[in-house]
Amino acid sequence: MRLKTKLSIASAALALCSLQAELLDLEKDELKFGFIKLTDCAPIVIAKEKGFFEDEGLQVEVIAQPNWKQLLDNVINGELDGAHMLSGQPIAATIGFGTEAHIVTAYTLDLNGNGITVSNAIWEQMQENDPALDTDTPEHPITADALKPIVEETLEEGSKLQMGMVFPVSTHNYEIRYWLAAAGIHPGFYTSEDKKGFTNAQVELSVTPPPQMPATLEAGIISGYCVGEPWNQQAVAKGIGVPVTTNYDIWKNNPEKVFGVNARWAEENPNTHIAVVKALIRAGKWLDETKEDGSFVNREEAARILSQPNYVGADYDVIKNSMTGFFYFQKTDKREMPDFNVFFKYHSTYPWYSDGIWFLTQMRRWGQITEPKPAEWYAEVAKKVYQPAVYLAAAEHLLEEGHIEEADVPWDTDGYKPATDEFIDGILYDARDPIGYLNSHAIGNKD
Amino acid sequence: MTESKKDVIKFKMLKAIDLSGFTVFDPVLRLAFGEDPKKQFGSIVKYIFIPIVFVLTCLWLWSWIAPHHKTKSGEVPTPRDVLNSVSVNDTIADREAIKSQDFLLSGEKRQARLSEVKAQHAALKAEVDRLQAIVQTREKEKADREAAIIAPLSERYEALRSEYREAGKERDRLIAELSEDLAAGRIQKMELTAAIREDGEISDVEREELNALKSEIDEVRSQKYRPLEIARKEYDSMADKLFFLGTRLEFLEDRNLNVRLDEARSRLDGYMADLAAAESAKDALRLAKRAVRAEESVDRLEGQEYASAVTIYHQTKRSIFTVFIGFFMAAFVAIPVGIMCGLNKIFMACMTPIISVFKPVSPVVWLLIFQIVVGAFFPDPETHPLFVTLGSIPFISSLDVNPALIFSACTVAMCAVWPALVNTALGVASIDPDHVNVARVLRLGFWNRLFKIVIPSALPLVFAGLRISLGVGWMVLIAAEALSSSDGLGKFVWDEYQNGSSLTFANIIMVCFVVGIIGFFLDRMMIILQRLVSFDGKGASV
Repeated sequence: MRLKTKLSIASAALALCSLQAELLDLEKDELKFGFIKLTDCAPIVIAKEKGFFEDEGLQVEVIAQPNWKQLLDNVINGELDGAHMLSGQPIAATIGFGTEAHIVTAYTLDLNGNGITVSNAIWEQMQENDPALDTDTPEHPITADALKPIVEETLEEGSKLQMGMVFPVSTHNYEIRYWLAAAGIHPGFYTSEDKKGFTNAQVELSVTPPPQMPATLEAGIISGYCVGEPWNQQAVAKGIGVPVTTNYDIWKNNPEKVFGVNARWAEENPNTHIAVVKALIRAGKWLDETKEDGSFVNREEAARILSQPNYVGADYDVIKNSMTGFFYFQKTDKREMPDFNVFFKYHSTYPWYSDGIWFLTQMRRWGQITEPKPAEWYAEVAKKVYQPAVYLAAAEHLLEEGHIEEADVPWDTDGYKPATDEFIDGILYDARDPIGYLNSHAIGNKD
Repeated sequence: MTESKKDVIKFKMLKAIDLSGFTVFDPVLRLAFGEDPKKQFGSIVKYIFIPIVFVLTCLWLWSWIAPHHKTKSGEVPTPRDVLNSVSVNDTIADREAIKSQDFLLSGEKRQARLSEVKAQHAALKAEVDRLQAIVQTREKEKADREAAIIAPLSERYEALRSEYREAGKERDRLIAELSEDLAAGRIQKMELTAAIREDGEISDVEREELNALKSEIDEVRSQKYRPLEIARKEYDSMADKLFFLGTRLEFLEDRNLNVRLDEARSRLDGYMADLAAAESAKDALRLAKRAVRAEESVDRLEGQEYASAVTIYHQTKRSIFTVFIGFFMAAFVAIPVGIMCGLNKIFMACMTPIISVFKPVSPVVWLLIFQIVVGAFFPDPETHPLFVTLGSIPFISSLDVNPALIFSACTVAMCAVWPALVNTALGVASIDPDHVNVARVLRLGFWNRLFKIVIPSALPLVFAGLRISLGVGWMVLIAAEALSSSDGLGKFVWDEYQNGSSLTFANIIMVCFVVGIIGFFLDRMMIILQRLVSFDGKGASV
């Protein structure tokens, strides 16, 4: 594995030495990228607005998509060249859960950035169940333990608590399931007949598009949701709900969105793909640039750009909150969260195989993958979807051009992050042993 | 002589007014020509002045009610807010135009513009800093004021809470004692259950009291501090402007097309010179390859245009284009089929079930069906001949026709086809029998009969149908665009809804008016066409 990566770097480097800081031989220079109105589309928007795409000779149009399904369809049918995607989307499409198509990714857009918000009524009941929460600044992380009695009470009344997430294969779905299951609440299985994931559920999770979340919560259709920004901060600003936890607390530095393209497109346009990743890496680095005191240099400008109506379009003040490293849990509870959005630090933009495998384990855990698979299968699928060779080729160019530093890229990695137990329930995740990881959870499918 | 000439002009103008359906202005015109002023004044007051007063009253009512209706999803915009959002959208369009100009500027003009913008930028920077300081002081003021109001409240809350907690604990203790007493047989079980019940009731009352106090505190926190709002608004709009100037500087310097072209050209020249001086075959090959690549990048740059963000004007144009495509598709099907229905009873009988079943179907359903069915015709939209051809026609290429537009147009056509079809059939079926008899006497052939008798006499009703079709199509289009995300007013509304910004609501209401006004003009256009083809000059109602 390691040898192979090195070889591909070497071959890319070989092709390079005759190029220096010149444009790549682009197969296609007018591109259309899709995105969903969430702040973590930032690298794509920044690469366009700050001229990083132009520097690569690319003319890029960035188009808002109404929902994740249509975004994926548009990438598959060629209407879009690439898009801001949920990490689970390329994987699910490749293994054929939902719409089947071979989608690949060579760039992880960001880490973290989601939160779980519950309605005011649920929050009050949680405070009653756990008096420690009954302050303006409760201690974090908040587990779902205080939610459990409410779930049980609702079940006794003959109904089920309803909560929202944004897409069946979204990080949000797996995160809210993880959070609930960590407290012993069953979020339900997917089966070959039950595509809604309600089987055995104690809490029913249904799909709601992000922008509709606050309205749906306010209308009482759902009692809580897991969604990206700015929709948690929006709930605080409007006073309709309380974010109880962010996904940083559920899994520290978890992968969130990726830049996905059609595998056929990637094959037909290898140099264009590298050029795009180059621009994205520069955008990520620009977003995460910090001053000596640790505050971000460019985030306010980024928030200003994202607040334009053709991008995320929410109010500048709302976007600024989470983008500049702060998060409001309640109006009175503003906390510093410098890692709420990570766009470049910690080698986050590298397409790690271990990230892909985690999503596969969650798909299996909740029954989206209906049969047991051997450990090798997990690694194979991850290698089919994640393309570090493209990333490394792009990084090589950038290093030569002086846009990044040697330490910015994990040159020698085999694609697996070290095993980690930085989860809300402290269970160890080792991507080399997906089966063992599956079996270490109390709730969920075991192989 | 002059009198009669004036009369001729007057009657021509009156006829034009009548034709276009703006008969309300009839008295104004007559008054201008001095005809019976008293009577004209009377009609002007009745039919122009009073309606204007009524509309103004409605506007006033709206601006009075809006701020009184509280919603959690934002404030209900007043007419002033809607007007403001018109200017905001106009500014966005303006800025895009300016940026695209800057992008293309070259030579001295660019230098001049650059220094001008630099000066503006520096001046504004100071202003923005000043405004930011004001925002900070206002924020502090607000925090202080809030703290002053909240401090006693939260003190009371804390005190009450600890008191109730103590009381609760005390009650729990008593209940525990009672249960021990019960176990020891000292009291009746009724006493224990009563105590527990009472404890529950008291706890509920206490909790309610605490919650009331807490929501009072929340209420204070959620109250807006007017000076801060104003300061923030001012700061935001200036900061926005500053940011725009910053972007302009980029487009006048490093990102300017001509600057980049010069760079690329000088690089190309350098390679060419190197190539001429190349010593070995290997070097020559390497340099030649570079030169070719540099040449390509020059070519590419030469064709580059500023990639403008979509503006509301572009979206409006595209919506109108789409509705006409759909409308012509509908007319193209509806008129021949309608004529056949009118001419032949059996054909009519065949069509009736199809018309009656599909007419009431919602546009949303049609859109989804078209996305799947028509989408299959464009496996690779970028190389598809239809889009390549459309992309090469001057005006249409700027509209960027894509499959989403075709789906929307098909949806419009599907919903707009029915009124035109039914009216055409009715028009053909109800031709004056005398005309048909004349045709028979003259022994006209089928085509002659069709073009000389049938179509002319059915034309007024055909156009009446088309008018309804266009109206329906325009209404349907907005929904279709929203759902298919085809750039247009529908997508604008949907994007705005998704933005959830403070301008969202006002923008949506603005689109309400834009759609309404365009719909009104489309309708007028159809009325004029309809009147032009009616022999009796009456036409349908206005």
